[in-house]
Amino acid sequence: MYVRPFDYLRVDSLEAASQALIEQGPGSWVIAGGQSLMPLLNVGLAEVDILVDISRVRGYADVTYTNELIEIGALATHRTLEKDAAITTGAPLLAAAIGHIGNVRVRNVGTIGGSVAHNDPAGEVPLVLAVLGATYRLDRGVDTRSVAAAHFTKGSFETVLSRGELVATVSLPPTQLGSGWGFHEFAYRPGDFAVAAAAATARIQDEVVADLHLGVTGLGGGPLRCRSFEEAALGAAPADLAGLEHLISSDFGYVADSVESSAYRSHLATVMAGRAVADAVRRSMAAA
Amino acid sequence: MTGVRTTIVVNGSDITRSGPAHYSLLRWLRDLASVFDVKYGCGEGVCGACTVLVDGKTVSSCLVLAVQVDGRRITTLAGLAGADGPSALQEAFIECGAAQCGFCTPGMLLAATEAVASGELTGRDDIRSALHGNLCRCTGYQAVVDAVESVIGTVEPTRGF
Repeated sequence: MYVRPFDYLRVDSLEAASQALIEQGPGSWVIAGGQSLMPLLNVGLAEVDILVDISRVRGYADVTYTNELIEIGALATHRTLEKDAAITTGAPLLAAAIGHIGNVRVRNVGTIGGSVAHNDPAGEVPLVLAVLGATYRLDRGVDTRSVAAAHFTKGSFETVLSRGELVATVSLPPTQLGSGWGFHEFAYRPGDFAVAAAAATARIQDEVVADLHLGVTGLGGGPLRCRSFEEAALGAAPADLAGLEHLISSDFGYVADSVESSAYRSHLATVMAGRAVADAVRRSMAAA
Repeated sequence: MTGVRTTIVVNGSDITRSGPAHYSLLRWLRDLASVFDVKYGCGEGVCGACTVLVDGKTVSSCLVLAVQVDGRRITTLAGLAGADGPSALQEAFIECGAAQCGFCTPGMLLAATEAVASGELTGRDDIRSALHGNLCRCTGYQAVVDAVESVIGTVEPTRGF
């Protein structure tokens, strides 16, 4: 663990961070909780000239909640969100998925904004936020824009973020009355990176599917919404969903890597997706 | 790389050292401040041997920079005992023989301290879940779970291994 030396700059505003990252150029990286970046630096998979630390920027660690919107500051820690009443009641899928991240130490320090910006293809947070239809506010100095989670990812560890641009807040609609959620992941050890994971929300009304979102990850390219399955499921009776499961993998792309075969990952993702959908439907029917 | 002057409150005492900005808290503690009850295991945040409490919450000291915790209060194993002796959890570890080689023990005790303090442990499954980020290469987990369980008071401690 003898990392290549680097410099360090602590800033007290996101504007100052953007300015520093633009001035310092490609050798500068932003750090918040650092629970993804520090392991990369420690094992030599990443090298930086200077870290710009935003972890003490004030005003971005809170959750605000109305009937229409949950807004989460980018610096809110996973542990905060896992326990926050607004999240456990308003976005129970997010709270449940966060419980699968690393271990308590990682969750005590790691931030939601960091998970979004890092966009690990095995990450729980990008998957769940894509399924929940979250929107990210991206700040770059005085410039700000909103980007939907679905349009934020450009592949594994790749996002639309430009140099100096930072995830400032994450907004999502609170869970609808009568809707249910499901989250399943397969990892070789608890807390390890997921080989495959799936997240779903469903709302059953008048004994048919009125709304269903399904996403999977672990297929190599970041979170993937299973649009074909989602469309086919609308209006279907819950008992008929199992017959549509072949549609889940129809949206899968290239999935092989050096560890697991394409067929294995596809199979795992489909099984996780089926379980997530079943849980979401069950919870929706129980809530009705 | 310029040296950075950092002051950290370690077990109630201010420690000030100048060191490179890229030093992790773990390296700062061991190499600059001679705090050796914090162990270097994997350096990747996986094993839990370097666990410390920062303002009461467990953190992998290999995964934060010392400069990031400048001014904060940290607790290591040596800070768990009170004026009247070892903590209840430390006593339980002794009673249950919850250590073999002892290398993971500081991290185990700190993780268990946070978990017990949370008041959320109701049984062995909760304890295992709370401690799954702390690896014991001697695989002495049984006695560790026994020790924590005895403190949360659900059953009498039993002797493991």
